[in-house]
Amino acid sequence: MADAKKHTGRAVVVLVGLVVLTAPFWMSGYPVYVLSLVGIFGLVAIGLNFLTGYAGQISLGHAGFFAIGAYTTALLTKKAGLPFVLSLPLAGVFATAVGAVAALPALRLKNLYLAIATLGFGVVVQKLLFEWQSLTGGGAGLEVPAPRLGPIVLSTAGHMYYLILAVVILGTWAALNIARTGSGRAMVMVRESEVAAGCLGISVAKYKVIAFSLSGFYTAIAGGLYCYLVRYINPESFNIHMSITFLSMIVIGGLGTIPGSLLGAVFYVLAPELFRGIKDAPGLVFGLSLVVVMVLMPKGLWGFVGRLWRRA
Amino acid sequence: MFFFSLIIGGLASGSLYAMVGIAIVLVLQASDIPNFAQGEMAMFSTFVGYWILQQYNVSWWSAVLLSLLFAAVLGVAVQQLVIRPLLGRPTMNLVIATLGLNIVLHSLAGMIWGNETHIFPSPLSDALPLNVAGLTIPPMNVFIILVGVALILCLTFIIRKTRAGIALRAASQNQAVARLMGISINRAFAVAWGLGGLAGGIAGVLVAPVLFLDTNMMGLLLIKGFAGGVLGGLNSLGGVFAGGLFLGVIENLMGAYISGSFGEALVFLLIIGVLIVAPEGVFGRVRTRKV
Repeated sequence: MADAKKHTGRAVVVLVGLVVLTAPFWMSGYPVYVLSLVGIFGLVAIGLNFLTGYAGQISLGHAGFFAIGAYTTALLTKKAGLPFVLSLPLAGVFATAVGAVAALPALRLKNLYLAIATLGFGVVVQKLLFEWQSLTGGGAGLEVPAPRLGPIVLSTAGHMYYLILAVVILGTWAALNIARTGSGRAMVMVRESEVAAGCLGISVAKYKVIAFSLSGFYTAIAGGLYCYLVRYINPESFNIHMSITFLSMIVIGGLGTIPGSLLGAVFYVLAPELFRGIKDAPGLVFGLSLVVVMVLMPKGLWGFVGRLWRRA
Repeated sequence: MFFFSLIIGGLASGSLYAMVGIAIVLVLQASDIPNFAQGEMAMFSTFVGYWILQQYNVSWWSAVLLSLLFAAVLGVAVQQLVIRPLLGRPTMNLVIATLGLNIVLHSLAGMIWGNETHIFPSPLSDALPLNVAGLTIPPMNVFIILVGVALILCLTFIIRKTRAGIALRAASQNQAVARLMGISINRAFAVAWGLGGLAGGIAGVLVAPVLFLDTNMMGLLLIKGFAGGVLGGLNSLGGVFAGGLFLGVIENLMGAYISGSFGEALVFLLIIGVLIVAPEGVFGRVRTRKV
């Protein structure tokens, strides 16, 4: 019995792995593009989950980090002439620094107060991008050419897909390790009780700053990839709705779990695609599915999968 | 003079923020849930009022009264059907459920009434602008401010003096003890959601004649309501009201004197600054917690 279960589990993992690895060979451009989006939002979800799921700090401003990543990567590549492979991690580093600064209000704020402060952060970033026209192009947006990796131009959807896949695999592996080693556990402790964390010698302030920075890093890397997948960015799209959907993504997937983050991204990108066929109702069905998932699956999709698995 | 008319305009929009903020805080205080669907609930009930006006030959006041009744019933219905089964779950789950509800109501209204802009009649369309000491004041602004003040006074009275209000306060302080005193927690929460729906609905029918009526009209108002509430402090209705008014005025002044489009960002920078100094809002009490 247990053996059969193990085999099924392995079969599912291998099957998903095969599909993911070979997708561009047998799928047309659009599904590959959609899968790339899943990867990008998966990175965002992992980043936000460190902050909200692990460290327990709510953020309604992550569209700001996403925008910072997208614009920094684009501007460093386009205006400063740096190679894409360099500008992407530099954007991540920049967002890490911004995250450390954005963490400062969080040292004193909680719950809804923190939510509004982070929401303010997102608004400020968005308005800055709108207003700083000489740098960002303002409301007209910014177009970017196909990225280059050394001599190779990543011109097709398949190329970008493999780049994103590589980053997602690397990001997931790193996240799994961070989550189960010291920093990850310290963050969980901060979430559970700041007082108890302090008593154990965990510096609450330090780990809040780490959580914000780490979260900013992942989200900015995703933003940089997004910019070069879509090839056009506009400050308009990095709005509050984006931050809110990021948050719903991780709660739907499962707070405080790395696989849940990826599952949430899958749901967030694929659900509206699936409901597109239903006339006039994609919003209605998506909204209803958020409510239904919350009512039926208190620990999100990943928790639900786990429950099914144990019952099977 | 320009300065004073900015202040009056700010007080009017601030009153609207305050009403939404009060709606949010009523629910938040009672059941600990930040209701992100509050804005769309108000939008929906305003549309119902609009629909009644279009379909039946009734006066503005009776249509609005029916719309507010609907708003209160919708509040109770949401609490009973969506929130009640979720009680005891982590707050984040409830937040996402209200966000889902927000999306549902938004697209439902779009399906029923379309996404175009409608014109919602004003009760004071015949009234002449008021002239006070050389200052021209739109009558609707005065009306909004007066309704705001009346609402806060009524709600404070209800919560302080009536049986339902006392039950509500007891339930929000300690559910177990309140239950032992024979208070139905479920009914107290229903009252809070009903009152919240009502307060939001009032903001809806007041903002629709000033701006326009469409499915997006409450989106920004909801965020400003939250922001005003947080600024004032979420644990007193008076604080929320003051926070909303302050937000409206400061936003108007910054928009006019500093930068129209960057004004909003400056407002949020200010809010963040204030919160760093006063983490529970200006009028909020910092709760001390025993470990």
